[in-house]
Amino acid sequence: VKPLDEALIGFFPQLLPEAVLVVAACAFFLGGTWRARRRLWGIAALVALALAGVALAYTAAGVRSVEALKQEISEPPRKDPNISPAGQQVLDERRKHDEAALPAMVYASPVLHSRLSVLFAWIAIAGGAVLVLLSWNDVPDEYAAEYHACLLLVTAGVCLTGMANDLITLFLALELVSIPTYILLYLPRSDPRAQESAMKYFLLSIFSSALLLFGFSYLYGAAGTTNIPAIVDALSGPAGAEPGAAGLALVALVLVTAGLGFKLAAAPFHFYAPDVYQGTTTSAAALLAFAPKVAAVAALIRLLGYAPGFAGGRVLGLDLGGQTPRLLWILAAVTMSLGNVLALLQDNLKRLFAYSSVAHAGYMLVGLAVAPKLGDAAAAGGVDAVLFYLVAYGAMTVGAFAVIGWLSTPARPVETVDDLAGLSGSRPAAALVMALFLFSLIGMPLTAGFWGKLQLFFGTMSTGPDPAHAALLKPEDLARQTADAWFFRALGLILAVNAAVGAWYYLRIAAVMYLRTPLQLLERTRPWPAMAAVWACALVTLGVGLFPWPLSQAVKKATHGPPAAAAPGPPRAAAATGGPAP
Amino acid sequence: MQTALLLLLAVPLAAAAVVALLGAGRPRAVRRLSLLASVVCLLLAVVVAAGFTQAPPAEDGARTFHPRLAVQWNLLQLGPSPSAMVQFYVGVDGLNLALVVLTALLVFCGVLVSWKSVTERDNEFFAWLLALETGMIGVFLAFDIILFYVFFELTLIPLFFLIGIWGGPQRQYAARKFFIFTLAGSLITLLGVIGVVLAVANDPYAPPPAAAQNADEANELTFSIPRLVELVHGHTAPLPDDVEKKQKAFDKVKNADFPNEKAAAETQLKRAQERLDFWRTVEFWVFAALMVGFAVKVPLVPVHTWLPLAHTEAPTAGSVLLAGVLLKIGAYGFLRLCVPLAPDASLAFGRPLIGVLAVIGVIYGSFCALAQEDIKKLVAYSSVAHLGFCMLGVFALNEVGLSGGLLQMINHGLSTGALFLLVGMLYERYHTRKAADYGGMAARLKLLALFMVFITLSSIGLPGLNGFVGETLAMFGMYSTESDPNRFPGWLLTGLASAGVVLGAWYMLTLLRRVFFGEPKEPAHEGHGPVRDLDARELTALVPVAALCLALGVWPQPFFDAARPDLKVVARIADGARDRADAERRLAAPPEAPQAAAAPGGRPQ
Repeated sequence: VKPLDEALIGFFPQLLPEAVLVVAACAFFLGGTWRARRRLWGIAALVALALAGVALAYTAAGVRSVEALKQEISEPPRKDPNISPAGQQVLDERRKHDEAALPAMVYASPVLHSRLSVLFAWIAIAGGAVLVLLSWNDVPDEYAAEYHACLLLVTAGVCLTGMANDLITLFLALELVSIPTYILLYLPRSDPRAQESAMKYFLLSIFSSALLLFGFSYLYGAAGTTNIPAIVDALSGPAGAEPGAAGLALVALVLVTAGLGFKLAAAPFHFYAPDVYQGTTTSAAALLAFAPKVAAVAALIRLLGYAPGFAGGRVLGLDLGGQTPRLLWILAAVTMSLGNVLALLQDNLKRLFAYSSVAHAGYMLVGLAVAPKLGDAAAAGGVDAVLFYLVAYGAMTVGAFAVIGWLSTPARPVETVDDLAGLSGSRPAAALVMALFLFSLIGMPLTAGFWGKLQLFFGTMSTGPDPAHAALLKPEDLARQTADAWFFRALGLILAVNAAVGAWYYLRIAAVMYLRTPLQLLERTRPWPAMAAVWACALVTLGVGLFPWPLSQAVKKATHGPPAAAAPGPPRAAAATGGPAP
Repeated sequence: MQTALLLLLAVPLAAAAVVALLGAGRPRAVRRLSLLASVVCLLLAVVVAAGFTQAPPAEDGARTFHPRLAVQWNLLQLGPSPSAMVQFYVGVDGLNLALVVLTALLVFCGVLVSWKSVTERDNEFFAWLLALETGMIGVFLAFDIILFYVFFELTLIPLFFLIGIWGGPQRQYAARKFFIFTLAGSLITLLGVIGVVLAVANDPYAPPPAAAQNADEANELTFSIPRLVELVHGHTAPLPDDVEKKQKAFDKVKNADFPNEKAAAETQLKRAQERLDFWRTVEFWVFAALMVGFAVKVPLVPVHTWLPLAHTEAPTAGSVLLAGVLLKIGAYGFLRLCVPLAPDASLAFGRPLIGVLAVIGVIYGSFCALAQEDIKKLVAYSSVAHLGFCMLGVFALNEVGLSGGLLQMINHGLSTGALFLLVGMLYERYHTRKAADYGGMAARLKLLALFMVFITLSSIGLPGLNGFVGETLAMFGMYSTESDPNRFPGWLLTGLASAGVVLGAWYMLTLLRRVFFGEPKEPAHEGHGPVRDLDARELTALVPVAALCLALGVWPQPFFDAARPDLKVVARIADGARDRADAERRLAAPPEAPQAAAAPGGRPQ
């Protein structure tokens, strides 16, 4: 098989986890006509996710990833005197084939199986399992099969976004996240408020998809290909500096950021978040706070070229003459400030956490803004910090929603901050884990949120000129880069101020739980699935807080790619010439 | 001995967990266990202090801290090199030893004083108190800059609950205000911490490791405080001399006809100047960022507003620890991080700025204290004034001032801690804190009045008691800065601050007269049981504190002996900054006035 054909056809084994999830979802849709029991379909969804996990473990270990391929061809060819000439010929041919397979895989395959995609798939599947547990009791029996099927599809969509290597795949993956979400918002509740929120989300999401697609068309126009690494190479190489291409790329960048900003709930595309979160069930709100954000971060990392570039060296993203970091700088500053200030005014818990999720989207944008400025060294604080933060954010935010879901009963829903009054007396365990999530959201030490924020701070402060090359720089370049660094350090300051502002409303909840007497006692119910979801999130929040090492290693391996030393010459030029003619 | 150090951190935390799990139904077990844990901790601290050995004489002249009994465990790698490791790095040296003992002592007093006054959710109370002890001791012991920050933040959570649950009527607001003020400040401190770590790791002007004359000059990413101090010195110390050297080289070829050499010399000079400017900017921002968090904690005047509220609303044990230990964390942060990591900025900006703020704090705090009706609030404002003296000593930036500042930290912890204990005991008996409700209490509560008079005298700085030694040294230190070449008006600040001594005597003695002497007037105390004088439990809490006040006043030498080598390190770092400031002044002097450049840059010895 020729390498190109192999790249175009042979990617199916890489999609095994997604295939498991989609097949299971189809089976659920059919099976829903046969039995309508939420316990049955909940367990089935967990089983499907477990199978997807097994499939993912198999894919991660058994299917050759782009890193493994790169590793193989970077080693010197094997010359073994004990092998017969025929055997040696086979080996040589295989090596030649492998060498041709790498560019084919990177520049032709619609999906790219790498450590990054595996990491996203783990995040999606783990998150999916927690969300299944959380929505267990929120779903009416008659819709349970459809609901869980949609949840599996969303999970598959997030996995696929993490590995999309082509604009078309990426768009399809994002729609695979969005379309089931509309149904998820609509199914569990049928009161007018839920319908309004589902409709609102639907209309705005369609609009954002259109923006995204429009942006993709510009990207295609500028680069002449739909393959994402090729687009990144083309636009970050010398061709991208031409006025025509640069202008198109800038328009594309703005449109794409707007389209994904909706999914990320970045200001000014965050308007839907509080209304929709408030109108829907707790579990659906948790889903909205988690899945679209993971997908949007994955898409941004791919589209902005922050994912490791395997064919060339490490490409530091679509800089577009410094416009990308600047755009993301503004977006991050506005998003976190607006989210935090508006959250101060909220009394409804879901609205509060909606604005809080807006603020945290801003924190993640900080990492994305500084990522291209971090130099070639394996500096911490860019994309790796964003991924670390994403995991921490997922655990603590879904955890907070899970506590609300755990405490709510249909007769006595937990809606406002005051409903949690005196929780430490009536439900000490719930109050304790809620406090854990809140302190993690503030960023207190010994929680996942602390290490996440620390790394983001680290990134904003590391943006100076690369000391290894500083001696070679012209004085004016050095001065400009040093001045540029202050611009990004200011973002760190904004982040610090925002983290302190955010502490006020998280503390308000903690104060209400611990310092006040209950207005009305909560019912003592023990819905075990929601409880399991809470404890899973608490375990991650505390575990990562106490032992950040494994997660930070996994994230580093996924984002830093192969060492840049393997690439000859300046990485960007090599990448630009390494691309195929479209 | 290392085990003792680790146990100092582990015992309170473990006891806190056990106490929390004991449940609310066992008041006796909860109290006994807490007392046991705090006594064990105090003994451990005393053991560590007794076995504290001086730095070997070979290390005389050292430019960085030398933690003894150090423990280093790796936590998280944040960069490509193995040195970029966040570590669990703890140890003792002269700067933190006394503070650790003070913390253990005050927690012991706090447990005793809360014995009867806390009745509601008592297991939680004692658990938070012990958890707070771990946090506080951890801050002092930490020698990794991130670990320092972690403990710094961890002290907030227990205090938030201590104030918020067991505090006075405005407790919720006070707890949140305290938390937010400190958190906002400390987040900016975190930026400064990361800033200084990265400044010595990514200095674009540093020579490559192969060309560096010593390891301190090259870039290195590390989080160890002693190493950072060395690196900051290595990066900044040679700069003014370097510029001077390059300037001389340029002057030599300036008028000669060697265009190539001239251009090369000019480029080199420009680069050296840029490097100097770069480091001045970096140090300024590092200092500013570090200062914000510590200034909130101390507190210095514009950001002190959380203090009266938090101290007044907190339960007695909370106030004792807030005033006695938590404020010291701010001052200690200045001493341990701010001055050694940004010495030039501390000298150029820190001394005038913080000197003035400290004097404003002394005078403003004293006047506020004078105006208070609430006894607890009066003591709280007196803290603002006393910490002003402490900062005045630290930012004298010479050995005398630094030792005065450090002693003043301990003094304030002892005397204000004891004052809060006494006010708490009074409150426990009569449930009012208004000075006007009391009168002539000396006749009613003889022992309490005796201690009150003694501690008041210690607090206002009566010779023979501890306050006198600390205040005098701090002011001596500030006064002697006048002989600095840049004519820093230390005498003016000292003169103004000495007015605070008089004011301090005024408000404290007024309080004493109104509450304990004069017309007998006893507040209504029906329903609180018969009022008795101090019992054995309360005496046990007060006697060690009072004894230490006397001991430090009469014979402070052991304290200074233990602290001297490390205080000398800080003083040496500050002296280095003075020398550099001199060199820069010579550089800035106009070339047509060579006699100004030749003026000797002597400094006081």
